[in-house]
Amino acid sequence: MIHLAQKDISHTFGKFIVTAMGVGMLLGIVLIMIGVYRGLIVDATNLLDDVNADIWVVQENTLGPFAESSRIHEDLKNTLKAIEGIDKAEAITFQNIQLYTNSKPIRVEAVGFDPFGDIDPINPLHLIKGRTLNRAHYEVVVSAETGLNLHDHIDIGRDSYTIVGITQKTVSSGGDPLIYMSLKDAQQLQFSYSNATIRNDRDRGAVSNPDLHIVNAIIGTIKTGYNNNIISDNIARWKHLSVYTNNEQKEILTKNVVEKSSKQIGLFTIILVIVSTIIIGLIIYTMTLEKIKEISIMKLIGIPDGVIIKMIVQETVLLGFFAFIFGNIFSHLTYDKFPKRVILEAPDALTLFGVILIASVIASFVGVAKVVHADPTVAIGG
Amino acid sequence: MSTQQSIKIENLVKEFGKGDSLLRVIDGASFTVNKGELIALIAPSGAGKTTLLMMIGCVIDPTSGTIWLGEEKVYEDKWITHNSRKIRREKIGFIFQAHYLIPFLNVIENVTLVPQTNGVSEKQAKADAMKLLEYLDIADKAHSKPSALSGGQNQRVAIARALANNPQIILADEPTAALDSARALSVVQMLKKIATEQNVAIIMVTHDERMVQRCDKIMKIENKKIIFEAVEIPS
Ligand SMILES: Nc1ncnc2c1ncn2[C@@H]1O[C@H](COP(=O)(O)OP(=O)(O)O)[C@@H](O)[C@H]1O
Ligand SMILES: [Mg+2]
Repeated sequence: MIHLAQKDISHTFGKFIVTAMGVGMLLGIVLIMIGVYRGLIVDATNLLDDVNADIWVVQENTLGPFAESSRIHEDLKNTLKAIEGIDKAEAITFQNIQLYTNSKPIRVEAVGFDPFGDIDPINPLHLIKGRTLNRAHYEVVVSAETGLNLHDHIDIGRDSYTIVGITQKTVSSGGDPLIYMSLKDAQQLQFSYSNATIRNDRDRGAVSNPDLHIVNAIIGTIKTGYNNNIISDNIARWKHLSVYTNNEQKEILTKNVVEKSSKQIGLFTIILVIVSTIIIGLIIYTMTLEKIKEISIMKLIGIPDGVIIKMIVQETVLLGFFAFIFGNIFSHLTYDKFPKRVILEAPDALTLFGVILIASVIASFVGVAKVVHADPTVAIGG
Repeated sequence: MSTQQSIKIENLVKEFGKGDSLLRVIDGASFTVNKGELIALIAPSGAGKTTLLMMIGCVIDPTSGTIWLGEEKVYEDKWITHNSRKIRREKIGFIFQAHYLIPFLNVIENVTLVPQTNGVSEKQAKADAMKLLEYLDIADKAHSKPSALSGGQNQRVAIARALANNPQIILADEPTAALDSARALSVVQMLKKIATEQNVAIIMVTHDERMVQRCDKIMKIENKKIIFEAVEIPS
């Protein structure tokens, strides 16, 4: 049997391809939207994965340190170390700061950790240049996303720091690039008062006595053979602290931090898919109208509706297929130009492919309805 | 009933519209066309020629009456056949004033579309089509698109398409109107040859006296009824 859809498409191939490119760009945007969502999830848990702790100990009744602020004493790490089943425990701080470089201010999240401690939150796989911190003061490791270079000097707070290492793709749950500094520097930055504040307080008769031994969380790893949940529950019960396992922390992050954005993006994606379906439907409707005389003739000489409908549905599916191919090309050409992380995953593309095939079949109904109602005598006139 | 009969019409009525705008175009037509006959259908514009052909071709609904195609009674005050399109693609060939070929199919695809729909294999349909195209002297254009052919060439392809399903009946609505007289004459000669050689009943609408002379009988619509006249060959 003659493949009518293929013959019709190749008859007006240029037009068909340009149309498919147009729809393809729309699908490309859908793929990017999904990629933005995937990027959001990875960004949200990126720091958590790099730190790779088993438990997170934070201030009582808070969802800290990412979803809510948390302050606890640094020396709790020693208490933690003494608990049966705990392997390592270290203090860690997080704070948003603004870096002033020559070009423009950059918002970063500073991670403070003890360079001589047991847990290094810098994932060696992400360290692309230089080394991790190995001095107590004035060294930082920064994300390549900050645009800063190895051995550069930058001013943070009252001090000047040397960049000793560069990491890649290390961002906070909000997508800001990370910088790593020693715990002492971080505490100084976060909790010390400026000279002016101290002077003012003194004038008022108050004593400025900042407690510099505060951190945002204690992270710990657990020995093999011990259950994370049981140990976490024990600490929480006896020490008036909130304790989260890595999985719980991940859930807090993805739920509290990402849920709204993902709903936003999800809704956007659904709307775009619907718009694409409507546009494909309109295109097929016009394509069918352009062929209505030929369709009438086919009906007149006795071609069954099924043969003609098959042609319309196949053309729609082919349009969807080509648009999908162009969409993939478009998204792969553009995804790395976006400021935040966009992750294109094959399973997402495959799902979209399935959705587009179904959407194409639905979109073809408007053309099919035209075929069914076409009057065979239209072509020959009265 | 005679085995020679190809089309038999009894008391056929066709009305358009309703109430005040009711228009009766055919008012009780009865006639028979035999196999192998080439009939010239002559009537003024608007007399109902196309309407009559489309009723015979099971394309538009009569108001009442009876239609036989070959041995089969297809209409008696309502359609008896359930699949008029099957009847069209298996028994009838249509030719119109314009060629109405499918522009995105080439010549041989246009000709083989109906036979292939009827279940003839692609190979067989193509072989048959090539014979027809040779018969109509257009075989060299088998792989061209209609847009690359002249009006006369396309009309010959349209005739090939009408013949491709080995129809028992050919309904030709002013097939020569768009052609110059030499080409028009050759088309009519071809139809005459087909009627005689393949025992096909052909009704051809025409206005042209010279074409009429090649036909076996003249059918006229007068007072909304059908009358037949003999063909007069001027001496
Ligand atoms: N679909 C229709 N609705 C109403 N009137 C029609 C329709 N088709 C044809 N007619 C009328 O029927 C008459 C016969 O038309 P037609 O068969 O096309 O004439 P012819 O082919 O002889 O020129 C004309 O008066 C025409 O206006
Ligand atoms: Mg007419």
